[in-house]
Amino acid sequence: MLETRNLDKSFGAIHVTRDVSLKLERGERRVILGPNGAGKTTLFNQLVGELRPDTGSIHLAGEDVTALPVATRARRGLSRSYQKNTLFDGLTVAENLALAASVATGNAMNMWTDSLAKPEIRDIVDDVANQVSLIPYIHAKVSEVSYGVRRQLEVGVALATRPLVLLMDEPTSGVGPEMAKGFHDLLNNLPRDLTLLIIEHDMDLAFDVADTITVLNYGEVVFDGLPEQARGSQLLKEIYLGSWEDA
Amino acid sequence: MFRHTPLRYATLAVLAAGMFAAAMTAEYFGLEILTEIAILAILVLALDMVAGFGGMVSLCHGALMGVGAYAYAVLAAKAGLAPPVAMAAAIAISGACSWVIGAICARSHGIYFIMATLAFGQMAYSYAFDSAALGGDDGVSGIPRLDLSAIGIDLNDGQSFALFCLLALAAAYGAAVIILRSGLGRSLTGIMHNEQRMRAVGLVTWRVKADVFGLSGMIAGLAGVLAAQHIMFVSPGLLAWTVSGEALVVVILGGLGTLVGPLVGAVLFVLLKHEISNVTPYWHLVVGVILVAVVMSRANGVFGWIEARVARWQAPRVISSRKEQVKNA
Repeated sequence: MLETRNLDKSFGAIHVTRDVSLKLERGERRVILGPNGAGKTTLFNQLVGELRPDTGSIHLAGEDVTALPVATRARRGLSRSYQKNTLFDGLTVAENLALAASVATGNAMNMWTDSLAKPEIRDIVDDVANQVSLIPYIHAKVSEVSYGVRRQLEVGVALATRPLVLLMDEPTSGVGPEMAKGFHDLLNNLPRDLTLLIIEHDMDLAFDVADTITVLNYGEVVFDGLPEQARGSQLLKEIYLGSWEDA
Repeated sequence: MFRHTPLRYATLAVLAAGMFAAAMTAEYFGLEILTEIAILAILVLALDMVAGFGGMVSLCHGALMGVGAYAYAVLAAKAGLAPPVAMAAAIAISGACSWVIGAICARSHGIYFIMATLAFGQMAYSYAFDSAALGGDDGVSGIPRLDLSAIGIDLNDGQSFALFCLLALAAAYGAAVIILRSGLGRSLTGIMHNEQRMRAVGLVTWRVKADVFGLSGMIAGLAGVLAAQHIMFVSPGLLAWTVSGEALVVVILGGLGTLVGPLVGAVLFVLLKHEISNVTPYWHLVVGVILVAVVMSRANGVFGWIEARVARWQAPRVISSRKEQVKNA
């Protein structure tokens, strides 16, 4: 479903992505681990088109999308959530979801009819709000809801585009343990045919959700395998998992 | 997102009733002022669409109005086209110019967007000023008004023309509401709040901006066509950046991003201008002081201030009503 071939990216002398090749099958749930500065978010930015790789290619559903802009990739099914909330703060939760849904349903450029009144958009808003447990806040303004609810909405907006592949950049970033548990359920309840690529520091969540795990270090893939293999990897203990294993 | 509130409906009703009553009772000078208000209100509606709901603060809307006025003047007075055809063509030309400007400027933001639109406005002004075909500094005169004699209306009569302009204002307001409530308008609001995210969900943001800028330009063009018919003469002064600046002042004075506020602003601005200039020629100074006071008060214009006061007054009632609901439940 999503494949990268030999992706390379440098900022001046700093090599942030080194020869990264990944292959995600349809419905696969892969978690990317790695210490701060490993190049995880930079990799995401290249996948969605916010950064152009220096060399290498990106393929979505068998098609080379390397040269396509962000919006085109999103319309073809590649959606993302951000590490820092990137929402429409002055609008309500429902309006946030509806904006994404209106693009997905081809209503975003319609200049005659009220997009919020369209049944297909309302259906997506209700469906996604239900999936990410936002029903109680649906008419609240984003600026009025808690940080945790905004993190749920961050994922919800990405889901409302009806993606084939969903990239999530630290979905539980900054939330408390209780809410993090809620995210386990949220991610496990997503449709099984949706391909997920998740950057996550929460090890419990990573091993709970992941079918496969990729570890980046200094922009390079240093591990690619099953969660059980990741747990036993000495290399991972050294570069990343030591503190977690010891704990 | 744009929405009508009871206060907005009430304000619209008061404005409509007041303007209609003025049109039915005013003498020559009053009708001239009313017509001036209606034309300015159409222009500021167009500007509020892009500035208040898309964050595109334009300093070329005066020029777009001028394009509409000149296009109508040339097509109707020089090329001899029937006024209805010339009107439609002038509005379309103004919209097309506006779309191109919007498409070019859409990738810039903030001060750069303002400067880019100012540059386009100044280009239009310079062209009109130097072009022999457009009459240069002398402009174009002998512009006919729309002929509605077939339905028994003589637009050369001041009262009929004022009512015609009010009707055009109502149509422009209706069009602006439809656009802002549509998928396109809501996408524009999304872009104003977070352009990066709108792109990330799959929207070609420059296209949305260009489309709404084009539609806004058509409304500005309508204001230009009416201005040309009103004074039956156009000159490069109509395209000057000061016209755009004045429109921006009116939008801010009334209430940016409310659509109703700029209408209030247009009424206040024109009335203040005429009333104060009866007392002193330095009316700009007085309007300037009022504008500074409005901006320093941190209220969103006069209408925004009223909306905030009403919201504050309503807040305790809403809370107590919710408490009552919870208690009953």
